[in-house]
Amino acid sequence: MPRHPPRGRHVLQAALSAGYAAIDDPEVQAAFTRPADAGTPGRGKAFVAIDGMYCAACAVKIEAQIAQVPGARIDVNVAAGNAVVDWEASRAPLSAVFAAIEAAGYRPYPAGDHAQRTAADRGRRQELWRLGVAGLCMMQVMMYAWPGYVSTDGDLAPDIARLLQWASWMMSLPVVLFSAVPFYRNAWRDLRRGRVSMDLPVAIAVVVTFAASSWAMASGQGEVWFDSLTMFVFFLLGGRWLEAGARRRAVRDLERITRRLPDTVERLSGWPAPQARAERIASHRVAAGDVVRIAVGEAFPGDGTVLAGGSSADEAVLTGESRPVPKGIGDAVVAGSFNLTGPVVVRVDRTGADSRFGQVLALMEQAAAGKPRIAEIADRYARWFLLGVLLLAAVAGFGWHLAGEPRALWIAVSVLIVTCPCALSLAAPIASVTAVGRLARQGVLVSHPQALEALAQATDAVFDKTGTLTRDVPTLYAVEPLRDGVDPLRALALAAALEAGSRHPLARSIAEAARNQRLDTEVASTVARLDAVRETAGEGVSATLDGVRWRLASAALDGPVDAAPGMPADLRADAPSGAVVWLSDAEGPAAAFRFDDGLRPDAADTVAALHRDGLRTALLSGDHEAAVSTVAARAGVTRHVSRATPDGKLAEVERLQAQGARVLAVGDGINDGPLLSRADVSVAMGAGAPIAQGRADLVLLSDRLADVAFARGLAKRTLRVTQQNLAWAALYNAACVPLALAGLLPPWAAGLGMAASSLAVVLNALRLAR
Amino acid sequence: MDIVYLLVPLSVVLVFLIVAVFWWSVQSGQFDDLERHGESVLDDDEAGARKAPGRDDA
Repeated sequence: MPRHPPRGRHVLQAALSAGYAAIDDPEVQAAFTRPADAGTPGRGKAFVAIDGMYCAACAVKIEAQIAQVPGARIDVNVAAGNAVVDWEASRAPLSAVFAAIEAAGYRPYPAGDHAQRTAADRGRRQELWRLGVAGLCMMQVMMYAWPGYVSTDGDLAPDIARLLQWASWMMSLPVVLFSAVPFYRNAWRDLRRGRVSMDLPVAIAVVVTFAASSWAMASGQGEVWFDSLTMFVFFLLGGRWLEAGARRRAVRDLERITRRLPDTVERLSGWPAPQARAERIASHRVAAGDVVRIAVGEAFPGDGTVLAGGSSADEAVLTGESRPVPKGIGDAVVAGSFNLTGPVVVRVDRTGADSRFGQVLALMEQAAAGKPRIAEIADRYARWFLLGVLLLAAVAGFGWHLAGEPRALWIAVSVLIVTCPCALSLAAPIASVTAVGRLARQGVLVSHPQALEALAQATDAVFDKTGTLTRDVPTLYAVEPLRDGVDPLRALALAAALEAGSRHPLARSIAEAARNQRLDTEVASTVARLDAVRETAGEGVSATLDGVRWRLASAALDGPVDAAPGMPADLRADAPSGAVVWLSDAEGPAAAFRFDDGLRPDAADTVAALHRDGLRTALLSGDHEAAVSTVAARAGVTRHVSRATPDGKLAEVERLQAQGARVLAVGDGINDGPLLSRADVSVAMGAGAPIAQGRADLVLLSDRLADVAFARGLAKRTLRVTQQNLAWAALYNAACVPLALAGLLPPWAAGLGMAASSLAVVLNALRLAR
Repeated sequence: MDIVYLLVPLSVVLVFLIVAVFWWSVQSGQFDDLERHGESVLDDDEAGARKAPGRDDA
């Protein structure tokens, strides 16, 4: 892909004709613009998402182009892929700005959710500022504290010492009154709801330290700890800042998917009349049945069917498949996928929550709302743990005070800070969020976080056959002439022509094979010459071509020809490896079409990978013994059960579970709902399955069986990372609490330790994203 | 030593000034995108040189 799309005059023309004029409609603008701060009439700010930016140079090009639009200015953020446009309607309309961006070679979109995004940006700025204030003040307080530490008794004149204390107090004020505010706010918010949060010990520590130090300074008795105070606030804020950045990286994969739908779309009224009117409307106003034109680089607003044009689509959002999928007339497109190579006209069939994309979103929201079981347990105990911390700190402070220790308060503060169970409560959720995001990128949806735990603990894998280990549609892999003078390609063309009107799966794969052999025109001309086409259920298709009656039927149902002379021996048998279809005329069979059993190419590798992983495998199928045993043997599945009824499959899973096995069931998600819901963890192949209503714990949108092994590997790693994190957090608290109680840990070191332990947990979890 | 009575309060004022400058730089979005400006050094496109006057005109 070129880094910079070509630019040129025609692009500008196209942009104007593509209906950017609609952008100037005040109603449309309301969604993504607001008046400029000064309140000058006609001046405004527009939030624009820009597609196609890859590096800093792109921003420079766009800015240079916008500089030529009178009264307009643009602020491009390459990393976020968006820009803020400042424009003056009286000098140049907003559509001119859009056209200019287009002329630079990029595609601008009104960014409807920009308000939300700028709120997040503002939040991040605010956090950075609090951190910066704490850092600057901390450094200066250190300067004032320094003489006190290095001077020997009597070296530092009392008046100078007091001056330095006052200066430290002044410097601590912004930290206590501004930087530490999030701690108070969170602690108070949770207290009001009757909960104890991790911010409570920190808030108490800040307030107590500051109050005690201020009192000591004013009364001239006791020690001041302004340096420790500012330092631990800085370390805690710094830790949270880095942690927030890491978490954002972890959820980015998920967010990238949820932000896929376009904000506006070009609707064609009256298509296919030549005078069809194009108008740009907000994409949420698109309804089923609307005809829309999708330009190159735009996302499809709903599931639909291509009516005109040809292109290829990037469906990575739904399948994890990064290769473009070709789209011709009549092909289905899915919401949220990108149109890559040519403009197409699409009839929208389903929008919003009905579309496949909507179902994916619903599932992901459901997953995001859930918590891993281990985290739920941690949360339940965290409350008592926190109360324990408060009690412990009070006892320690009081005890040391009774023992005559002047640093009693200092010790209590250290205990408060160091025991804060941030790392403990982060340990499990951060790992599971990262893993779910990584799987989403692969095209594997996880419906709830517990599924990963169950997947990691599975001991047995049971597979369904059709649609799971095998594809739904068998593939034609050989055409065998059965007498002299029969050309395989001609036979294929004739077969495809005979089956042209059929929707039978074998007919579809014959048609596909003919297309792959570029026989389209021959098939079409043959179809035109066919007479008296008759399709009889169970007996195949027959038709007359140039006075000869031809018949195409499957072997098993075509008894008489079975005995015809000149037939290869292995075709006579009830061919176990797959179906066979015969083309015959009055003289007997002319050609045999062999289909494979449709075993997925990655089936054997997946089963082998699961075996290496220590899982036992089984194949449960309702099919007859010969077909099931062949598939089981070729895929390498250890055990198979044929002619299993749905109840039989269920009973088999229950039998395994009664033996203490944890069963992973892999099915197509359509016919095996009960099986999937009975298993400990279930995976549905996602090609045709309804997603949101399905009962599967994981959905393979990718339709790649190999992702079962991948998901299992990642689930095991996630469990391992979670355990490492929990162990680390527990070890940290176990080691630091006694140190703090013994008075060996100053508050600043406690703050540093706590920030570092949380950060270690987050960074460890981020390994899962690779 | 009396000079300390001037210098220490002065240092307090100075830090507050630095904090104010930091506030301005954060709020004007200078820390929002830390990658792009670093990469722009590597950009030998002419457009880079034209950018500044272009923006002033606007």
